[in-house]
Amino acid sequence: MVKVLFFGRLGDFSENIELKVNCTEIEATPKKIRSLLSEDNVNLGKQLAAAQVLVAVNKVIVGWDYPINDGDELAFLPPVTGG
Amino acid sequence: MPLNDDDFMRYSRHLLMDDIGESGQEKLINSRILIVGLGGLGCPVSTYLAGAGVGFLALCDPDRVDKTNLQRQVLFRSEDCGEFKVSCAKDRLKALNDSVNIEIYPRAVDTEILNYHYDLIIDCTDNLPARHVLNKQCSENKIPFVSAAAVGWEGQLIGFDFNNYSSPCFNCVINGQLQDPVMNCSNSGVVGPVLGVIGSLQATIAIRMLLGYFQQHGEMQRYDGKRGQWLTMTSMRDKACMVCSHEL
Ligand SMILES: [Zn+2]
Repeated sequence: MVKVLFFGRLGDFSENIELKVNCTEIEATPKKIRSLLSEDNVNLGKQLAAAQVLVAVNKVIVGWDYPINDGDELAFLPPVTGG
Repeated sequence: MPLNDDDFMRYSRHLLMDDIGESGQEKLINSRILIVGLGGLGCPVSTYLAGAGVGFLALCDPDRVDKTNLQRQVLFRSEDCGEFKVSCAKDRLKALNDSVNIEIYPRAVDTEILNYHYDLIIDCTDNLPARHVLNKQCSENKIPFVSAAAVGWEGQLIGFDFNNYSSPCFNCVINGQLQDPVMNCSNSGVVGPVLGVIGSLQATIAIRMLLGYFQQHGEMQRYDGKRGQWLTMTSMRDKACMVCSHEL
């Protein structure tokens, strides 16, 4: 199991979303988790596919192919670039 | 330069603090900072740094004040509409603290502006290409760099102490090859005080860096003002980074 956190406005698209996966079985990465989430939630999928979405595993910003283990926390962060 | 009588009065709330004191205040007075962008972030950043007595501020922004800026860009007034942001900002900041030297550039940041000496560069811009230009300049010249951004209810803050660390850099975290997100303050909106929160933190990090109290190279903070949540994350060096990988 992986704890998935949708930060900021991604929270508007991720209500009642639950993800039950065995990370070892599926060789989980942020990219794989994203496509699993997108299968059932088209709007969320669109948000997660936007350029510059960041992913963090256990509070470390990582790449989309970073290996995720059971018990890890995966956070998706929407892009923020204005000022 | 030793502090004068006016300085002792003006900066008394710094001088009362053991970890700032006279020597810290002198460091601030002898510092030179470039602030790129005088919008929602640049307004609080420049105000706090001028108030704190940072001796030299260079302000760079090509834009003129527009009525739609006034909801969040706290240095400007209704009668400023149509004037260059940097000249209005200079007037206000000089009225706040006349001892601060202020240079203004009413244009986009360029090599000439970047090539002067700065102890710190602060990214208050509204676009990704400019952030990458500043990151490259700071990484290559070992200039501490504080970058921030905001949109909607959300803010982002990240500091790089390139004096002491060469990587990661901004490009390791947010790759410059990727396209600029479609959402920005002009087309998606932004809540004024979110910029105040993030800009105030940028100014705080700037002061910490100048005084030698910044230990979080490459740490990113995210703020969600709608839900009142913070997230702090560290970042890692990208071995293939086009900007900082050759620095090692
Ligand atoms: Zn880098």
